[in-house]
Amino acid sequence: MSFDGHPSAGPSGAAPLAERPLLEAVGLSVRFPMPKKSPFAERDYLHAVRGVNFKVHAGRTLGVVGESGSGKTTTAMAAVRLTEAHDGAVMFEGRDVLKMGPEELRRQRRDMQVIFQDPYSSLNPRDRVGAIVREPLDLMDVGEKKDRADRVRELFSLVGLRPDQMALFPHQFSGGQRQRISIARALATNPKLIVCDEPVSALDVAIQAQVLNLLRRLQDQFGLSYLFISHDLGVVQFICDDIAVMYLGEIVEYADRPTLFATPRHPYTAALLDAAPSLARRKSAGYSRAGAVKGDPPSPMNLPKGCAFASRCPRAQPRCKDEKPLLRPLDGAKVACHFPLEG
Amino acid sequence: MDPLLSVRDLKVEFDTRHGRVTALAGISLDVMPGETLGIVGESGCGKSITALAMMGLIPNPPGHLTGGQILFEGEDITRASPKRMRQLRGRDISMIFQEPMTSLNPVFTAGDQIAEAIMLHQDVSKKEAWEEAVELLRVVGIPEPRRRAASYPHEMSGGMRQRVMIAMAISCRPKVLIADEPTTALDVTVQAQIFDLMRDIQEKFGVAIVMITHDMGAIAEMADRVAVMYAGRVIEQGRADDILDDPRHPYTSGLIGCIPALGREAASTDRLPPLAEIPGVVPPLHLLGAGCAFADRCPLVHDRCRRERPPLAPHGMAAQEFLGGHAVACHAAEREIAA
Repeated sequence: MSFDGHPSAGPSGAAPLAERPLLEAVGLSVRFPMPKKSPFAERDYLHAVRGVNFKVHAGRTLGVVGESGSGKTTTAMAAVRLTEAHDGAVMFEGRDVLKMGPEELRRQRRDMQVIFQDPYSSLNPRDRVGAIVREPLDLMDVGEKKDRADRVRELFSLVGLRPDQMALFPHQFSGGQRQRISIARALATNPKLIVCDEPVSALDVAIQAQVLNLLRRLQDQFGLSYLFISHDLGVVQFICDDIAVMYLGEIVEYADRPTLFATPRHPYTAALLDAAPSLARRKSAGYSRAGAVKGDPPSPMNLPKGCAFASRCPRAQPRCKDEKPLLRPLDGAKVACHFPLEG
Repeated sequence: MDPLLSVRDLKVEFDTRHGRVTALAGISLDVMPGETLGIVGESGCGKSITALAMMGLIPNPPGHLTGGQILFEGEDITRASPKRMRQLRGRDISMIFQEPMTSLNPVFTAGDQIAEAIMLHQDVSKKEAWEEAVELLRVVGIPEPRRRAASYPHEMSGGMRQRVMIAMAISCRPKVLIADEPTTALDVTVQAQIFDLMRDIQEKFGVAIVMITHDMGAIAEMADRVAVMYAGRVIEQGRADDILDDPRHPYTSGLIGCIPALGREAASTDRLPPLAEIPGVVPPLHLLGAGCAFADRCPLVHDRCRRERPPLAPHGMAAQEFLGGHAVACHAAEREIAA
C-alpha cells in the first residue's frame, strides 16, 4: 500500500486514498494506576478508555459526547499523546502517533493542536498575549523569524481580535476573548487537526455562539479537522459531522449527525437527548420524560460484567446484565446495545 | 392574590478597585405563592446578587444595599434585625446553591446537617430531628435513606449531594425556595432528575421557587414567569411562554436565538446555518453611561437609546399591568407596540 498521500497514487480497485482518514484510532485504551493498598498488593488500574475506534476525516469534525467520567477528554488527549495510552494505535496520515519518538512527535505537533476548556488557566498570566500566540512558531521553528510578528498580527485578525491588543496580558481579556487567543495559538502552526476540549463550556451562551461560528468559519477557510469534545448535545449537533457517544470509557453509539439526531438507537443517546433542556419543553404544557434514566453511572473501578448502562437503562433485560453488547453496524450507524431503539 | 415576596426598586452597590459600582440599579420583582419565577441572564448581570439580597446575605463590606425594599409577606426584610433575619432564613425563605460539593460541611454526615437545620427552627429532640432527616432524604429520592443519613458528603455523587441540599432547604417547609444555578455543576441526566424533583416538591409542598439560571432551556422547563436581567436591571419580564415565544427586547431574542437547535427537528443532512450572534460583550458595570446598557450591542439601536435609558414599562404604569404582565425596557419595542 502506498502512503505518499496523493489520491491518484492509490492502486486501482482499492479504496481511494482520499478516503483515508486524517486520524484513526484503533483499539485505543487508557488506564490510570491506582494507589496500592499495601506494598505487596497487586496494583489496581482505572480503565478510563477501553478499546475505542474512531476516525477523523480531513476537513470534518468528529464530536465525542458524554457525561463526566465517560472518558471523552482522556480519549482525545491520548489521541494527541498528551496522555499516554496503554494499548491501541492512533494513525495520523498513516503513521502511528503512539509509536513516535520524542523528536518525531515534536514535529508532528505542528499538525495537531489543542484548545482547552478553561480559558483562564490555559494561558500563562505572566506572558503578553502576542507572545503566547507566537510561542508555537518559535518552539517549532515555523517560518522565518522576521515574518513571525506579521503572522501573529494576521492570526489576531483571523480570530476577531485587534492587533493592537497583542501587548496586553490575559487578565485584561474576557473569557470569550481568551478563548479566541487560544484559537489563534492553536492556528499558529497551520495545523491539520485541532482537538477542541469543551472549548465553549465555560462561556456565556451569547459568547458561545460567537466562538462556535468562528470555529466553523476557520474550518471552512483552512480545511481544518476537529476532534470536538463536549457534553452539550446542541453544540455537538451544530458543529459536528460525525458523533461518538461515550459511556464509561466506551463508545456506545457512532453515527453521522443527521442519523444520530433523527434516529438515536442507543437508549443512552435517547436519554441524553431527552434530558437536555429545550425551549420546546414547557412547564405550562406539563412535561413528560418517557426515557428518563435513574441514578448515577456505576464506578469505573467496579464495572459490571454486562452492559455498563444496564443499571440505569429503561429497556434493560436480564441478558443486558450478563452479556456485554459489542458495537455493531445498524442501518448506517454503529450501536452497542442488545435491544436498540427502532429507527 | 398578594405576592409572597416583592422586591421594590432594589439598589445594591459594591466597592471595587474602580470605585463604587452599581450591581443592581433598582430592580422590582414579585414572587407569587406556589409559582416559579425564573431570573435569567449572563454572568455579571446581577442575578445571583438578587438571590443573595432576598436571603439578606449581601456581604458588607464590600456590598451596600443603598435603596429599595424586599417585602416578605408585607414585612421589609432589608430593615429586619439580624436575629429576625436568622428566624426567616431557612424557615420561611431557604436557598440551594450552585456547588453541592462545597456547600455541605465535609466533616458532618448528611443526616446531622439536615437535623441541625430542623433543630434550629423547631422545638424537637435530636432523635426526632434525625428521624425527620431520614424521612426528608426519602422524599428527595435518595435510595436507602436510613443508611445514607449516616454518610458523609464525600461518599456521595454530585446529584445525591444536591438532593441532600434540597432536603435541608425544605426541612422547615419554607414558603420560598431560592435556587441559584442548582444544576450547573451536574451532568445533564442528573440535571433532569433534579428538575423533576424540584417540580415534585413544588407540587407537594406548594413552595414558591425563585430559579436563577443562565439557561433558557431550564427557564422553559421550570418557570411560570421570567425576569430577564442585563447589567443590573430587569430588561424584560412576563409569563415564560410570552417571553420565549414573543420576546420583545432585542437582548432576549438574541439570547434565545443563539442557542443551538437540538434533536430531530434540526437533524438535517445540510449543515446548520450559523448561530445568531449578539456582537460584543457585556459592558463593565463601572463604564455604564446614561443610555440603554445594551445599546452598543443592539441591532435596533438609534440615538435616543444612547441618551435616555428606557424604563421597564411606560411611565406611570406598573410593570405588571403593562401588556398583560409582559413588560419591556426598550425604546424600539415600545415604538413597535404603540404602532
